[in-house]
Amino acid sequence: MTFDRRTDFVTFRTALAAVVATGGILLGASAPAMAQEALEELREQGFARIAIANEPPYTAVNPDGTVAGAGPDLARAVFKKLGVEDVVASVSEYGAMIPGLQAGRFDAVTAGLFMKPQRCEAVAYSQPDLCDAEALAVPKGNPLNFQSYEDIAAHPTAKVGAPGGGTEERLALEAGVPRDRVIVVPDGQSGIKMLQDGRIDAYSLPVLSIGDLLKKANDPNLEMVAPVKGAPIYCAGAAFSKDNTELRDAYDKVLAEMKESGEFAEIIEPYGFSAEAAKQVTREELCTASN
Amino acid sequence: MEWSWSFVWEILPTLLEGVKVTIIATLLGSALALVVGLFVALARRSDNPFLSRGTGFLAEFIRGTPLLVQLYFLFYILPDLGLTLSPLVAGTIGLGLHYGTYTAEVYRAGIENVSRGQWEAAKACNLTTPQAWRHIILPQAIPPMIPALANYFIAMFKETPLLSAITVLELMNQARSVANFNYRYLEPMTLVGVFFLVISIISVIGLRALERRFGRLG
Repeated sequence: MTFDRRTDFVTFRTALAAVVATGGILLGASAPAMAQEALEELREQGFARIAIANEPPYTAVNPDGTVAGAGPDLARAVFKKLGVEDVVASVSEYGAMIPGLQAGRFDAVTAGLFMKPQRCEAVAYSQPDLCDAEALAVPKGNPLNFQSYEDIAAHPTAKVGAPGGGTEERLALEAGVPRDRVIVVPDGQSGIKMLQDGRIDAYSLPVLSIGDLLKKANDPNLEMVAPVKGAPIYCAGAAFSKDNTELRDAYDKVLAEMKESGEFAEIIEPYGFSAEAAKQVTREELCTASN
Repeated sequence: MEWSWSFVWEILPTLLEGVKVTIIATLLGSALALVVGLFVALARRSDNPFLSRGTGFLAEFIRGTPLLVQLYFLFYILPDLGLTLSPLVAGTIGLGLHYGTYTAEVYRAGIENVSRGQWEAAKACNLTTPQAWRHIILPQAIPPMIPALANYFIAMFKETPLLSAITVLELMNQARSVANFNYRYLEPMTLVGVFFLVISIISVIGLRALERRFGRLG
């Protein structure tokens, strides 16, 4: 067999061009179709992939591995009405949820991700579902007298724990607490443990989450400060990828019907959330709020 | 997702803070591993069977369990026993103890590599045991240890991201934090990789130089 470098090269180049052209056609053709067919695909595969955080009562993984919490329960009900039988949940760090959504790892984030303008720019939110104020878990008697994140910033050495990429981490940093005094806590149990061990002076989560944790910890040496002064009531929504707004719109339609029929309240109120609070605000208001 | 240089410049100072902590943890961890390894190696050579077997078992135990599990013990469980270490101290001790059990093996191999005849010759020359160690055994044992020790320290360096699990703000933790706030992983994680690669390469060059220098003495 003779070896002809020139011919080989030409062949290779032609093949490469063909591959690139085909790829281009495939991508070009499938991109707009994908969004329209997203719901159809979910119906066919029988489940939607959701991101959760294991932060009761927002999201919870039961000891037997099943997923509960207001966020997943609501998502399960909405998807069911959309013809998608079930949801499959992945536990994720808050900070990893939006990149995961953008990378197509999840179809929706239903972890109680509070709406803030920066997040609204990154994802397509449903209308509000779970609303809550912020709280601090502190040692009994609140010895450092923390009422706000600014109080923590003003203290020379106090450390505050918060979930990584969560709203509370950002609020603490925005209030001026230095980076090395905002301790990223991997999960609720660790946060309570670190507070008990004196590694942190306060642990910040939404009111209902801190309430749930303190009830479980059942430690008379801890108490809750709520609501944190200067931090407004936030509302979360289900978050979808920006290029999947059709799915979001379909979700919104069902959510609105459920709010109307009272099913929405039936699902979230046992967890302690106020359905009325979620009905009184809109995504548009929350996404343009100044804080 | 497109690469953004302006984002790189924005996050660089934060990541460099993390690099500093990563280097500190590696240096302290290595120093501790050197000391721990020496004690473990000497204890295992001891004539006292409780000391030698006990140390052997302990070393096997530490080598046989994951560093991450050990870090959780040091960080979350020691406080229950009344000892609350700061995250960096707990992390450094974790690294030092874990790698100390490996460096002990390096010491052991290095010492055993010096032939018995050398001990006998030292005795014949009327050298005391400490003199024999200092003038005869260690000068021959140490140079061959350096490459193996260096490999462990570089391995330790690359395991420092585990410290992010116990809230140490090292490079990986800083990178994740900036990624969390900007919803971008591309630049922070790429930079983490680049920093680790660059520091590894520099360390390898430095350690090779050290090896050549001590190699000549031996």
